[in-house]
Amino acid sequence: MSRATMNIAAARVASPRLSHLSWLLLVLALAVGFGLPGVVASVLVLTLLTQAVIGGMLAVGVGFLIRQNGVVSFGHAAWYGVSAYCLGLLLRHDVLSAELALVLALAVPTLTAFLLGLVIVRVPGVAFSMLTLAVGQAFHEFAMKAQGVTNGDDGFAIPLPDTLFGLPISTVQQPETMFVLCWSLLALVIFGLYVTVRSPFGRLTEAIRENEERARFIGYRTVLPRAATYAISAFVAALAGLLFALYNGFVSPEVLHWSLSGSALIMAVIGGSRLLWGPALGAVIFFFLKDLAGNMTEHWPAMIGATVIVVTVLMPAGIAGTLAELFERLRKAGGRA
Amino acid sequence: MTANVFLIQILNGLVYGGLLFIVSVGLVLIFGLRRVVNFAHGSLFMIGAYVGFSISLVAGFWAGLAGAAVVLAVAGALLDVSVFRPLRRQDPIATVLVTFGLLLILEDLANTVWGKETHSLPLPEILAGSVDILGQPFPAYRLLVIAVAAAVGIGLALWLRFSRVGLFVRASSVDPVTTAVQGVNTDRVSALVVAVGTALAGLSGTIAAPLLALSPSMGGSILIESFIVVVVGGLGSFSGALIAALAIGQIHNLGIIYVPWAATMVPFLLMVAVLVWRPTGFAGSHV
Repeated sequence: MSRATMNIAAARVASPRLSHLSWLLLVLALAVGFGLPGVVASVLVLTLLTQAVIGGMLAVGVGFLIRQNGVVSFGHAAWYGVSAYCLGLLLRHDVLSAELALVLALAVPTLTAFLLGLVIVRVPGVAFSMLTLAVGQAFHEFAMKAQGVTNGDDGFAIPLPDTLFGLPISTVQQPETMFVLCWSLLALVIFGLYVTVRSPFGRLTEAIRENEERARFIGYRTVLPRAATYAISAFVAALAGLLFALYNGFVSPEVLHWSLSGSALIMAVIGGSRLLWGPALGAVIFFFLKDLAGNMTEHWPAMIGATVIVVTVLMPAGIAGTLAELFERLRKAGGRA
Repeated sequence: MTANVFLIQILNGLVYGGLLFIVSVGLVLIFGLRRVVNFAHGSLFMIGAYVGFSISLVAGFWAGLAGAAVVLAVAGALLDVSVFRPLRRQDPIATVLVTFGLLLILEDLANTVWGKETHSLPLPEILAGSVDILGQPFPAYRLLVIAVAAAVGIGLALWLRFSRVGLFVRASSVDPVTTAVQGVNTDRVSALVVAVGTALAGLSGTIAAPLLALSPSMGGSILIESFIVVVVGGLGSFSGALIAALAIGQIHNLGIIYVPWAATMVPFLLMVAVLVWRPTGFAGSHV
């Protein structure tokens, strides 16, 4: 998965300046987000879409790590869940203002991930995957066992304040408004990641991904940029966890379970992580398939398992990647004619 | 705490460490030859436990033990032919993803066939009692677990040291490219090696079944701990896995007694400490 072909978007542009097109796409994406709740009348579909966008945010974090570091995390639910638990615990004990709690709920997992990243990015790729799984599960076990702090398996309801940044709390609880908020944040996150991958820092991490030894030979330190990339992807996961906690007003160890990490990874694989928005597309497909499965949900894990096998074997670039390849081929064919 | 009670705790740690060793060494074997990690290994452990359980209901415990190993060996050979071999030229991550998909399918399969409720496998009568060790009663069955782990360890060591296949596995785990250049056809031996690895997963599943409750999710925690063992020991290293398994067995057991709320964090902290000190694990100079 760590092939030179991955950096289509990054390699072509020599200048670090952003094209007008990318700004236009951002504005367009935001406009679609604001318009969609007006068009989609069904609250059910909006609820589903909101879940998909939050799941998509987590998947984008996982995909960014695959794209920039060339390694696969099986434990990103850790950062999602730690963020949700941070918010819940801070509000439950009423130690800070809610706004400050939000900031801390993002900072704690990001910083923890950075420090952990300094250790675990040094192991080879497959071992990295194994360790992320172990780390994720360690957090899950902790939430289950530390009854006194986390209320164990049952979880707890988060006592949300009446207003948040001056807005009524219903903003984050009703799908009509929460969808717009989540969608806009997702668009901004993808845009931010796009800026990051085109920056010198993004180029450096890609060089390290392609050949770490060579990057070291040229004189770059390689651990720090890789750990920073891991922290960025953890930050995106934490943001998703925060949105989840606000929307549901409830946390339980499920938000830390490896099946969530696995689902996020599967979204990234289905969508394809070569393009930054691929995992988000994967998430939308994932949630609508899950909804279609309906009364078959009993066997949902097996269906997901089968899907990931089929996509890995037949479509390693994912749906977004395959679309991009197709588009590229068409463009070349058009240019020749 | 008296010395005797402490000794019993050490023995208990040895039971868990031995179990962990049998599971982990299967992963090590497969990694040594194929350079891939089987994420479905914990699920094979779980399936092994259920197969052993079902057979033992009809034919008794010992038949269950043998049956689980045989069924899982066949499954392993199939796994090698249908997954590891076709994907060998791709990024190892592709294999990881496919085995992760298998993990989900196998858990669902166990749910469907054996149901969500937990089962328990009765102890064989001959081992149901307990033995006195320095005046302390110790369950006889646990001694069997230690004995099986020792037998597996010694058997594997002899096999790897003195057989032709063993030579190939050792060579390949040191340097797969040079091994291939020397004319070793890893594809030929790998179905056998993977079968041995999965048979050990099945065997350990059945062995563990009377100690744990059988549930479709029982493969999860053992998979995680065996991953820690394999990484801490140094990927693909047998002696590293043995040392790490025994160490984590003790730490796990003592952790449950003294710091029950953090017991699962302790092996994880050990792992971080070892990796800070040596990023490639105890025995890992290569990889």
